[in-house]
Amino acid sequence: MTKPSTFLVPGEKTSAGTLAIISLSRDNFLPLTLEKSTGAVDGYLEGATLNTRFGSYPHSTLLDVPWGSQVRASEVDTGSRGKKRRRDATDEDTPIASQDDDEDSAAANAPVKKAVTAPSGFIYILRPTPELWTTSLPHRTQVVYTPDYSYILHRIRARPGTRIIEAGAGSGSFTHASVRAVYNGYPRDAADTKGKVFSFEFNESRYHKMQAEIGEHGLDGLVQLTHRNVYNDGFLVDGKSPKATAVFLDVPAPWEAVHHLSRRKVKKGGEEAEEDSNWVSPLDPKQSVHICTFSPCIEQVDRTVTELRTLGWVDVDMVEISNQKINISRERVGVNFPSERGFNSSPADVAEAITKLKNLAERNNETNRVRALQLGTEGLDSEMDVDSTPSRDNRPLNGSDGAAGDTERLFMQGRLVHRPEGDLKTHTSYLVFAVLPCEWTEEDEAAAMAKWPCGNEKKTIGNLDKQARKEEKRKMLEGKAKSKKQKKANDTRTSQVVVSATATPTDTA
Amino acid sequence: MSRNTVQPNGWVAIRLPSEVTRVLQVVPHTTISLGKYGSFPSNLLIERPFHLTYEIQDKLDGESFPRLRVVPGTELNADKLADVSATESADADEVIEPANGEELTLVDESGKVVARSTREVIDESARQTLTMAEIDQLKKEGAAAGKELIAKLMLSHTAIDQKTAYSLAKYKLLKEKKYMRRFTVLPLDVAMLGHWMLFERDGSKVMEMRQEMIGLLGCWADVHFGGLPIDGEQGPHGGRWLAVDDTGGLLVAAMAERMGILHAEPLEGEQATKEAVEDEENPKTQPAGDEADAAVADPSASPKAQRSRPKRPRKDDLDNHYALTNSITLIHANSQPNLSLLRHFDYEHSDPNPPYPYHPLFTNLLPISWLQLLDPESDPTYSEPVPEVDSDVLSSWKTNRRANYHRKRRRWARTRQIVDATLAGGFSGLAIASTMDPISVLRHALPLLAGGAPVAIYSPTIEPLTQLADCFSIGRRGAWVSNPPAEAEGKAAVELENWPGTAEFPINPALLIGAQVQTSRARRWQVLPGRTHPFMTEKGGASGYVFTGWRAIPAEGNITARGKFNNRKKAKTG
Repeated sequence: MTKPSTFLVPGEKTSAGTLAIISLSRDNFLPLTLEKSTGAVDGYLEGATLNTRFGSYPHSTLLDVPWGSQVRASEVDTGSRGKKRRRDATDEDTPIASQDDDEDSAAANAPVKKAVTAPSGFIYILRPTPELWTTSLPHRTQVVYTPDYSYILHRIRARPGTRIIEAGAGSGSFTHASVRAVYNGYPRDAADTKGKVFSFEFNESRYHKMQAEIGEHGLDGLVQLTHRNVYNDGFLVDGKSPKATAVFLDVPAPWEAVHHLSRRKVKKGGEEAEEDSNWVSPLDPKQSVHICTFSPCIEQVDRTVTELRTLGWVDVDMVEISNQKINISRERVGVNFPSERGFNSSPADVAEAITKLKNLAERNNETNRVRALQLGTEGLDSEMDVDSTPSRDNRPLNGSDGAAGDTERLFMQGRLVHRPEGDLKTHTSYLVFAVLPCEWTEEDEAAAMAKWPCGNEKKTIGNLDKQARKEEKRKMLEGKAKSKKQKKANDTRTSQVVVSATATPTDTA
Repeated sequence: MSRNTVQPNGWVAIRLPSEVTRVLQVVPHTTISLGKYGSFPSNLLIERPFHLTYEIQDKLDGESFPRLRVVPGTELNADKLADVSATESADADEVIEPANGEELTLVDESGKVVARSTREVIDESARQTLTMAEIDQLKKEGAAAGKELIAKLMLSHTAIDQKTAYSLAKYKLLKEKKYMRRFTVLPLDVAMLGHWMLFERDGSKVMEMRQEMIGLLGCWADVHFGGLPIDGEQGPHGGRWLAVDDTGGLLVAAMAERMGILHAEPLEGEQATKEAVEDEENPKTQPAGDEADAAVADPSASPKAQRSRPKRPRKDDLDNHYALTNSITLIHANSQPNLSLLRHFDYEHSDPNPPYPYHPLFTNLLPISWLQLLDPESDPTYSEPVPEVDSDVLSSWKTNRRANYHRKRRRWARTRQIVDATLAGGFSGLAIASTMDPISVLRHALPLLAGGAPVAIYSPTIEPLTQLADCFSIGRRGAWVSNPPAEAEGKAAVELENWPGTAEFPINPALLIGAQVQTSRARRWQVLPGRTHPFMTEKGGASGYVFTGWRAIPAEGNITARGKFNNRKKAKTG
């Protein structure tokens, strides 16, 4: 292990060879592995370059800057490079690769051109977290999103040091989140037991992609990925037990796999399997095991729950998470606002409506008067027309009151409102939770009983029943009576003293 | 990681058939009473695993206490597995059957009940024929852990044969909740504590923070194990989180759990000492004298036993006390933070000198008041060092005075370490669950965060968060760059980090990106064969909202298209 993952130990600044998440705009994130180039790469004189519609960013400008930095776009010659390629392609049907390579290598030998800051455009460079990775990762399957995995990891008690089984690695969002949850340091050697994710993936191409990703993200040693059909072959890794205490199953048929996650060898449906001395449970024998299965359909839930209950899992609980992102904006309503997008130039309240109507009426009168003067006696017929014309033009209204807008800046105007975002994720999957307690045998009980013998209880704790309360009260009263008696004795003695004390002055008097 | 068995004097949660949870400390040699569900000796739980469901059995002849029977999961689930719509419900019947072999005709009959039309009206006069006195008598007998009582109740119901299979199952469940003498022992972790506080204690004490919110907050603030200290590093390094917590310690507990510092790790070789301690406490091996009595009666006497463990390492008063990495710095508004819930994890914050071995939070939780953070010089504990006293003079002092002297010096040194480390900044993340205005909190907390550090803020209501999000609206951010306020003109980005705030720009809007507010809610379902649907009622109140974002480091100077070339920036990257 050379360098810990930037997911877990980000450090202060970006560095070459590690993953960073580029924030292009709101909700637009891009994962990027930063490279240090010694020469031109891919035709870019500045070395490896990120091209976006928000500008071009040579990696040299993104390297060795603090996480979270705002980085300006650079002036990168993308045009001529593209043109050259295209010309090559059109000149001959098959572009001559060697020629291209020659030019590239020639350019690569030249020192990296220093990036020149462009007049506009910027991005932010963020340190990778499972949340950012989840929003930006390349989709291979349905992704387990943050609202779901945050709740799941909390419920299945994934904490530093936990060994967790995950089946259906999929796109790896849950893998990244769970490795952060269980991380308590990289294992020093093979014998060192640390928190670890045991991940299983059935699909071969996904398995290979995932394996590469784990390496790139520096998670070797923390995630062990196995290419396996868990329905048939169970959850042992290299024949050894992962000793898991938490399980997450994101597979189409969890009920086909659950019987492998038992304390003793059983068949599907809870039938006793033949004794097999070689059989090992993938679970930690000394701890309760928490499971979560993730299925979109209610029929899957039904079968999973039945199988879990048959196999003796307890506390079976099913929930569905509904998450809403909230849009927060300013609602600008008022006659003074321009009739543009984002504004509503209708009156904000009744008073404004009245003022507006009065203004209109006044103006109508004015126009009528003017018209009447202009047209002389013919004016009577045109009254219907004039009614509507001035209402179209409310510019003077704006002009007269425009000063009010200047006193308050635009972003402060209007009422602050919130509403759920336009696109809602109304259903992701049903989450089934259950717990499998560890086995507790007669011998264990006898040993514990011998160590902690009963029958000498002195006190009652918890909720007292009637009898216990009575007993307590009786004891309390008994104690009180005793102290009262003593007190009484004391009191009488002191009163006597007092009497004598008060008696003395009268005596002297 | 929490231990996997019930510990003597450890905290557990006990769930009763009525779904009510009791939180209590399992003091050895006491009787635990669960009210109407019965009572049993606490020693029957100690060193047994969690998540087991027990049945309180009838007292055996010649024994003064009832024994417990572990109810296997398959037996617990039998009722839920039985498909009541089918004619066979053999499993369910078995559970009803009383141990004494008394004949119950209902068993056979209910087995034959086929699902009836739900419209059939049960006779109004159909009632339970057992009188209250009879029921009480049966309860007292408590035969077969309440199973017999339930069977008799069902038998004596005049309209039991008219009930549909569904209502019969419901009736039985209702009676089981009331009379079954069963309970489940659960570990008291953050999820359990949060549930208990929210559903059975005063939810407002934890700001009605639900499990969904605790999960979201922890993930969005990226709270995780912050690494072991690196040899040779003198200053704070690695993962350090900043927190503002008005939930009585629930947030801190949740963060600590994610960082692996919530539970005291069992020491190596502790097993042997522990056993010795147990022998000592065992009244059978020791004559039940006054001392044993006291130890049993008073739970606080247990630390006494711990004193026999390895002595605390001797340290100079002014040595660094706190961990440099994997720590939580808690900013609080009172002279002492309210962390009362942490006592459920055996951490007593108000004890400045706890017995060795220390709880991890003793060294990894750094409390700092807002005054100490923003104006340390006016805080006497920080600004007034206790002058060093010569060792000769010191030895001439009385023990009390000497102890006081050391305590004060230690306190000063600790405060100093906390304040210096906090002001150095560079925190890996910020989590807030506070009744204070988030704008004012962020104004002072944002500059302390390292670039790219995530921010997550919980609020039971959305209004404080919408106002906060509005501080980072696109319009405001744009105006900050293109048309900055007069006060900000000509200042460098570093100076602007400590922007004091104006009406127009309450916070420097360039310091945070990705401001977003979300809410999450778990909807629980009942899953039973043929009867699966969401629960009809749930606890209302606050759903809770979470604000998230990342600390940004804005580029120097004007960043819009018409901006002049900025040579400083080029020099920085080059």
